[in-house]
Amino acid sequence: MILLCCGQISAKHFDALLLLGLQLDKSGHPVAIDDRFLPENVTKQNKYEMAPFLADFADIAPKSVVLIGAETISTEVQTILGTMHLGEDIPIWVLGQFSQHQDAISARNKIAYATGREPKLLDLSSPQRPSLMEGAIAPQFTEIGDSPSQAEGKAVRVLVYIPCEDIKEQDTTLSDLCVVNYSPNIHLQILTNSKGKDLIRRSRHGSLSVFSYAELPPTELLHYFDVLVFLGTNVPGERMAALALDAMGAGKVVIDCTTSSGFSAVGAPVLKGPEHVAALPGYLQETVSQNRMEIGRRTQQSAWLHPFDITGLERELQLERPAALEPASDPHTVFFPTNGNGMGHAQRCALIGEAMQTEHARRFVAFPSCVEMLRNRGFSCVPMVPRSADHSVEYAADLVNYLRLRSTLRPGDQLVFDGGYVFDSVYRLISRLQNPAVWIRRGLWRPGQINPIALERERAFSKVIVPTEAFAELNTDYSSGDHIHKVGPIVQQKEIAPEQSQNLRERLSAQFERKIDTLVVTMLGGGVASERTAQTQFLCSLLERRVNCLHLVVAWPNAVVPSGLYGWHNSRVIHTERTLDLCQAADLTISATGYNSFHELIYAQVPAILIPQSAPYLDDQERRARAAFERGLAGFVQEVELMSLEREVTAFLDNGKSDVVRQALRAVTLPEPGNHAAAKLIEQGSVR
Amino acid sequence: MNSVQSAAPDLRIAYVLDPRFPGGTSSAVAAELEVVSTMAQVQVFGLETDMFSGQRVAPQLSNTLLRLNIPFHWASGDIAADIVIFHNPSCLKFQDSLGVTILARNLVVVTHENFLRPGGAEAFDVAKCLDQIAAASVTLDRRIAPISAWNRSTVTGWDAANRLGAGWSLLDTDWFNICAFDMIPPTSSPRDRRGRHSRPGLEKFPQRDVLEMCFPQTAAINTILGADSLMQADDLPSHWSVHPFGGLTLQQYFDEIDFLVYYTAPTWRESFGRVIAEAVAAGKIAITDPETARTFEGAAISAAPEEIDQIIANYIAAPDRYRADVLSGQQKLARFSAAAFKSRMGNFLTGCAGVTP
Repeated sequence: MILLCCGQISAKHFDALLLLGLQLDKSGHPVAIDDRFLPENVTKQNKYEMAPFLADFADIAPKSVVLIGAETISTEVQTILGTMHLGEDIPIWVLGQFSQHQDAISARNKIAYATGREPKLLDLSSPQRPSLMEGAIAPQFTEIGDSPSQAEGKAVRVLVYIPCEDIKEQDTTLSDLCVVNYSPNIHLQILTNSKGKDLIRRSRHGSLSVFSYAELPPTELLHYFDVLVFLGTNVPGERMAALALDAMGAGKVVIDCTTSSGFSAVGAPVLKGPEHVAALPGYLQETVSQNRMEIGRRTQQSAWLHPFDITGLERELQLERPAALEPASDPHTVFFPTNGNGMGHAQRCALIGEAMQTEHARRFVAFPSCVEMLRNRGFSCVPMVPRSADHSVEYAADLVNYLRLRSTLRPGDQLVFDGGYVFDSVYRLISRLQNPAVWIRRGLWRPGQINPIALERERAFSKVIVPTEAFAELNTDYSSGDHIHKVGPIVQQKEIAPEQSQNLRERLSAQFERKIDTLVVTMLGGGVASERTAQTQFLCSLLERRVNCLHLVVAWPNAVVPSGLYGWHNSRVIHTERTLDLCQAADLTISATGYNSFHELIYAQVPAILIPQSAPYLDDQERRARAAFERGLAGFVQEVELMSLEREVTAFLDNGKSDVVRQALRAVTLPEPGNHAAAKLIEQGSVR
Repeated sequence: MNSVQSAAPDLRIAYVLDPRFPGGTSSAVAAELEVVSTMAQVQVFGLETDMFSGQRVAPQLSNTLLRLNIPFHWASGDIAADIVIFHNPSCLKFQDSLGVTILARNLVVVTHENFLRPGGAEAFDVAKCLDQIAAASVTLDRRIAPISAWNRSTVTGWDAANRLGAGWSLLDTDWFNICAFDMIPPTSSPRDRRGRHSRPGLEKFPQRDVLEMCFPQTAAINTILGADSLMQADDLPSHWSVHPFGGLTLQQYFDEIDFLVYYTAPTWRESFGRVIAEAVAAGKIAITDPETARTFEGAAISAAPEEIDQIIANYIAAPDRYRADVLSGQQKLARFSAAAFKSRMGNFLTGCAGVTP
């Protein structure tokens, strides 16, 4: 364990500390950052980056200490170091830009006074050590690969850094650049700060793939491009310098279009690009695309680059690199269903997991409401932390989940995420590990949900599996490409025979100690997305008048159950995972129209009255319900139409509508379920 | 000796120093001016070095200059005198040029800071400081004057590894700090009341485990003056009474203690240790590390931290010995008296004049 410290407690120093930590971590070195070095204001991005490294000093046993930014060491930092009481065998490395001999002595003295030990000094400004950027706090280094790490094939992924100041609505810079995106062989992506990203999102180029440079650390951004272009005036800060160095080490092409030739002026193996952005598309297509592999090879062989090789730093700091983790020989498939408002995502993943034929393990990481169901179905499951209003920040739970995911996934494991919004934890983890990753993304989004922001994290996944809706008009393409795979509806199919239904009714009769002439099942959701107490109470009241009637109200694991529901004679609140059995045995089902419930009912030919849930973050359940209703495959009642609900219940139970709907369901042709197709796609794994 | 005294009114001595140096160095120079101003025409030239940028002139120095009516100039242009005494060259470590020219027959550079730290690491960029002085001075004789045996050993140690360079030589005798304190009689009933005082720099403090050994829970009083850095910690023992630098007057502080227990970071050492002399003069037993104690030749008790408790217990059990040892220590401080310095200065001036005493 290498304990990383810095000379000052400031946002700038901490960012440099993270940069160093990320780079050492990437090379397999275990690192920790003492939490006393946290500055007052830490960004969300910093929190994700620091989470794996941050430690209470009392909990770690460092083998060495590396302090950066030692040209200015504050008293506060000296005090912290003084409390560490490091053993004599633990070297303290002090790294800084010691332009004067006295600077080095001062740094050495401060550490010596604070710790009572003599530190070892490494002067980052020595003439033998080239520098890409003056004044950097963290040491500049990279891992130089043996061959270019670029995507094979004709298509080139180009990442262009543009300073925010250069992104203006009227300015032609962005428009000139976007010309390149019309080439089928060039995939343009933009790198800028978060303000610049926001500007682009609101411009007519809003659909561009844009990264903000704090969104992912350089070590992870690296996986998204083959060619890196820098616009602007100079080397744009320590992070971007690190990205450029990593790109060179990885044998990618770095093009310097800065007005000061900031990269080429120091001798870095970069291409001097055209000064005018308008010339860049042509330059990329004519000069770079054809030769990018050879340029990458020569970059890696550059004599200028070699002093930056991490092995040099490891030698100087006497850091022993642990053996690299090999990809697992028995790659697991790890499903991560989002929490949502019911168990739909987890149910869908479980169905796919059950359809998989692989010998390798299928495991889950899931939120508490789904853990029992998943374990009951034979899957091992690591619980994740759900969001809570009690957390200090809305992403607090996801930060913890990020750490859990990191410790759960091994190199080579495949992650399958099911959800609408790709959590930062998922996005960061798959960007880091470069493990095969699949996004199961069902459709039927509301119009406001379809935007580039919702879809931008698709770039992290090697495959997107789109479980389609049963009815064609409900399917819309939100993105396209070879990585998009549509499959039929993923649905639980479990038809029970009439005698099984009868048997179930008899057991219910025994359980609830009553004769059952009428069995009604209501499952209107957990009450989180849409409040359905009034509708459920109304149904209880309607069914209370019936003789020999049992009305089962299904409560989801995380449901809020109003106490008033427990006061009825005919109505009972139940917790069960066997809803489909119950629905098939029932005379009537009243259901919300989430993807899973809806398709289960339709495919099992269950007569039902549909009351869609409605919330801005839900799928468009009303469209789904209407599609079935208009085909005569279900009843449909708006949430406020209680009188209609009464009429529909009567129609189904007393006037033969159940039979009519059942007939229609038997007659309709539905698409082949996609469970096996999805399972097969996941089993195939993916090659980036 | 007589020849020097008769020549004194015509002898011009210029002191060159950064007058903003806090603590003991400025006190030592102030005491020295008291003596030397009776022997020669003295002027003081203040350097505005980068080391003390933004700080004020040390009050002990400005008061002395005012009281003795010694001319003070902020240094610029030429500094001309028969003898120039340059105090504390380490103040030049953050700059490249002295900014003035020194014209003198003899130049003495008094090294208030050790050239090397314990273990041999260079304490400051010595060559840079000495080179600035050498480049800015025209003299017949240029000498380095250590202020203690330990300080001398660091100068010779640095010289062995780096070479002082042509034109520099080492003064044979130490240019000690004058310890002109009032001698306070010791208490006749010492108790386990311990304390330490210093500037708040981390170098002045040992590691926490040693400090806890110096000031244990068993002591009746543990007063730490100058604990500014220490006070940032949130786990200070409750039996410590900590005060920031200047938080108590020396009188208040000495009233609280019977024993000075003074240890520094193992990677740093006092060049002279004025704090020890202050405590002994105040009627206390001073306990410190062997090298620091060596300067005072028996006036302070030399001990390892593990031995402190027993030493103090023995003194408490034998108050007469406590009293005798304090008085003995006070007598030994006479070798750092103003009279002793004057005598040594007389010899030095005689030597400068080319007269063999």
